[in-house]
Amino acid sequence: MNKSIGGKLVGLALTALVALSFAAPAAAQKTIKIGNVEPLSGPSASVGVQGKQAREMAIEEINAAGGIKSLGGAKLELVYADSKSDPTVGVTETERLINTEKVNIMTGCWNSAVTYPATQVAERYGVPFVVPVAVRDTITERGFKNVFRIAAKDSWWVRDQFRFLKDMQEETGQKMKTIAFVYENGDWGTGFAEKWRALAKQDGYEVVLDEPYPSTATDLTPVVNKIKSVNPDILMLVSNAADAIQLTNTLAELRVKPKVVLSSGGGHADPKFLENVGKNALNMFDEVEWNTDVNKPGVKEINAKFKQKYGYDLAGESVDAYAAMYAIADAFERAASTDPAKVRDALAATKLTTGPAMIVSYDGIEFDESGQNKNAGIVIVQVADVGGKLDRVSVWPKSARRAGYKPVFPAN
Amino acid sequence: MSRKQLDMTLLGLAGLLSFGLPLVISSPTYLQILILLFFYAYVTTAWNLVGGFAGVLPLGHSVFVGIGAYSSTILTLQYGVSPWIGMIVGGLLASGVGVLIGRPTLRMRGAYFALCTIAFAEGVRVMIENIDTLGPFKLNGPRGLLIPLKGDSFWNYQFMHKGPYYYIILIMLVLVLTLTWFISKSKIGYYLAAGGDEPEAAEALGVNVAKYKLMAMALSCFLTALAGTFYAQLMLYFYPKGLMGLDLSFEIAFIALIGGRGMIAGPLVGALALRPLNEFTRIYLGDQLPGLHLVIFGLILILVMLYQPKGLTPPLARLYGRLANRITGSDKSGHRTSSLKTTGQEGAQ
Amino acid sequence: MTAQIQAVLDGIMMGAMYGLTALGLTLIFGVMKVVNFAHGSLLMVGMFAAYWLIKLTGIHPYLALLIVPPFLFLFGYFLQDLVIKPVFKAEQQVREPLTVIIVTTGVWYVLDNLALMLFGAEYRTVRTAITGTSFSIGNVIVSVPKFSGFVVSLATAAGLWLFMRKTRTGKALQATSLDREAANLMGINQYRIYNLAFGIGTAIAGVAGCVIMPFYSVYPSVGVVFDIRAFIIVVLGGLGSIQGAMLGGLVIGLIESVFPLFMTSTWTEAIIYAIFLIILFVKPSGFFGHKQDW
Repeated sequence: MNKSIGGKLVGLALTALVALSFAAPAAAQKTIKIGNVEPLSGPSASVGVQGKQAREMAIEEINAAGGIKSLGGAKLELVYADSKSDPTVGVTETERLINTEKVNIMTGCWNSAVTYPATQVAERYGVPFVVPVAVRDTITERGFKNVFRIAAKDSWWVRDQFRFLKDMQEETGQKMKTIAFVYENGDWGTGFAEKWRALAKQDGYEVVLDEPYPSTATDLTPVVNKIKSVNPDILMLVSNAADAIQLTNTLAELRVKPKVVLSSGGGHADPKFLENVGKNALNMFDEVEWNTDVNKPGVKEINAKFKQKYGYDLAGESVDAYAAMYAIADAFERAASTDPAKVRDALAATKLTTGPAMIVSYDGIEFDESGQNKNAGIVIVQVADVGGKLDRVSVWPKSARRAGYKPVFPAN
Repeated sequence: MSRKQLDMTLLGLAGLLSFGLPLVISSPTYLQILILLFFYAYVTTAWNLVGGFAGVLPLGHSVFVGIGAYSSTILTLQYGVSPWIGMIVGGLLASGVGVLIGRPTLRMRGAYFALCTIAFAEGVRVMIENIDTLGPFKLNGPRGLLIPLKGDSFWNYQFMHKGPYYYIILIMLVLVLTLTWFISKSKIGYYLAAGGDEPEAAEALGVNVAKYKLMAMALSCFLTALAGTFYAQLMLYFYPKGLMGLDLSFEIAFIALIGGRGMIAGPLVGALALRPLNEFTRIYLGDQLPGLHLVIFGLILILVMLYQPKGLTPPLARLYGRLANRITGSDKSGHRTSSLKTTGQEGAQ
Repeated sequence: MTAQIQAVLDGIMMGAMYGLTALGLTLIFGVMKVVNFAHGSLLMVGMFAAYWLIKLTGIHPYLALLIVPPFLFLFGYFLQDLVIKPVFKAEQQVREPLTVIIVTTGVWYVLDNLALMLFGAEYRTVRTAITGTSFSIGNVIVSVPKFSGFVVSLATAAGLWLFMRKTRTGKALQATSLDREAANLMGINQYRIYNLAFGIGTAIAGVAGCVIMPFYSVYPSVGVVFDIRAFIIVVLGGLGSIQGAMLGGLVIGLIESVFPLFMTSTWTEAIIYAIFLIILFVKPSGFFGHKQDW
């Protein structure tokens, strides 16, 4: 009978697995393990790798400065898992990091779609989870106790985008009337679009186009054609790396020139973007967590160090990951323990206003009761020709504007 | 002891071991690996009813997993219905859809049928990604559905530890294997076998091939959907591309093909061979060499198709047969061809 | 009105190129009766070949057309000879060569993931001499890379058609596709024909790769999207029919380009699948195919 063969094989295989599980090595404990789920391959690999590098740099610095002194100089150790931007993998890997690797704390995952369920896993097991960048509102709105986010959530991003538009119109006296939304139809894009609609109504714009598109589309000409046919004053975008490039180049190709183009970070903030679109991106506005010309002490030196090590500038995800590491170290220092509940409480009480973490564009990390960093802010930059090279120049909030730069508004 | 006694003893031992394992293994990660292994074995065995017994190649079966998951989850989230009940609803819905799509397609030739199933599965997936609400039901488009934590609760089909999940999927697997065995010995099994290889001959003999293929399809889809609910309750989160994508459909088909489609233990063998490979290459090689496990997968597939196109189970079964005969002193004729219980591919001659 | 004309024009140009991607597939399908699931991966290989060639030597994409297709021809020829032929031989008696289909799926997995291992997952683009350039006819803007792609696609289709009708080898290919036993009896070496068909099919994928590279990005799984489209086009147009492939491509291209004017572009994919299913139910042999009894 075939079933017996199957059964026998089940038995054999299971025995082998039992043996394996006993062979798993026990972990030593004079180090604090930080588990990180990042997209190290797949469409967001570029950002995932940057996040990894920033963490490594921070941990190196912290360990060199003596580690966690209240725990006898315990060193921090990073353990990584690749989410491939796939939520299912993210969930499985989070479980593995918590249950097998026995990490003391988790961070991750950049993609909101991955972070959302992964944080639930951590909450299930009572392990604190620090989210450097993953903007979906609901990540910190589920009443979880163990989830903390450094970056702003997407309702703040959207709010600031519209504030920027309002401020610029006031400053230049140029009124904009029509607005077009073009966004990738994943989690991130559709989340933004929902909020855009509400704010556009509030601010009295006429929405002439509301167009989700598949991020993996082979050809975005039909979408650009639609944009051209409605001729909006303002074009707002949410795109990943490849489609950001395609859209920008196709817009240039079809000679579509809205007065203002405002994107939302992500693909538009990717270092490869400018490389691949060149002059086509001139005068585009982008919204990011951070920019290289942020006027805070230490920015130039730390950015230079990162650039020297890894070959490109710091960006939003890397800065927030960097800051997250320092926030975690600070929490362990104050908790003086690796007990998850104590660490969690220490995180909740964070008031980090000094140290290398403060290269962020705002003045301190402090979490509210939902785990959201109260002070998190964003910066709007414009792609400009600075001395013959394309550069991203901070233009908003006005206090963050690079000295001597006059924003080009409208762009066309 | 006789051959038959040896077979039964080993079967009993394997059963004991499988049910006793969670008492020995405490690591949730390894339990999870086993759970997923049984999950894949289950889904593939259900697939086997169509892909093996009915002789066609469905490459879009993940759509039924999705139907199951979405049905039970929407009913739970929006109407507070227990997932167990939602599971049955999902199964019935999947069954209906399966029959609907099966009626025109099951009479097509192999490649066309395969392409149809792919097109249908992808079409449904794209549609769900585009729809946020379908009438009163919130589908949530590409963002998928998250099931809130409810603690340990059998009624809510949620547990804080892996143990209960392990037993549920193990029982489901045993049930579906038994069901497959019964079908293979029954009239339906023989009709399907005949219909798979020589449909014209079968029809000439008065067998309503189409009807039996549809029955197999309906049953297969029902069972597959149950697994969808299980998965949703295990992970507490799913989204269209992950659950209804081609990756899952193809993986199911590959497991059956490498294990041996048309054979009862084929999917199980395939799952045992391939799933640990998948998990371990991801864990140990994941960040260094992305994609390596799929390269290995593909190579294994090619090699098996080149040298053992009927899958790995026949040679393994023969090996077992020889060993078992050696041990019990039976001669070659001491066992009928019932030890090579194959149906579907070695059909009516 | 401009938007509609623009959409139709773009649809025609992209459609021709989609047809090109399907040409190789329909040839292999028609001659060998095999669904080559690895077709998308071959396209990916073609695109990467074009990418590296242009990136490392900076040659003009039109010149790449002279180098990449022959390279891909050899690649396809040997792939078929080493991997697929043995399986094919074993399956001669079986009515439907399902095992071959499975093997091609294995090849797809291997190729795509080898590319992933070797090149990483990032999306790469290359700036060629013609990238981003365009000319205008009135209010309508024509992209140069797409236009040249359009021309090359038509030329390739025409060339293939002539090859099949006018040359001895071409006729041998046709004969095999119509009735392989009879062709065999007429002295045509079946397996050499298969190798040839596969080689040519792959070479055409190479042409497609060169043509698409200037305006698109390449990454390891780029083949998957084109693959599914190519299958739909082949079924739409009829197995083994060159005109069918080009016409099918045109239909898909137009749908993709024109429908978004009336709905969001995310729905066009679902519509394409729906049309595909309808054709399969109503007229499975497609526009130009004959009723297949295989």
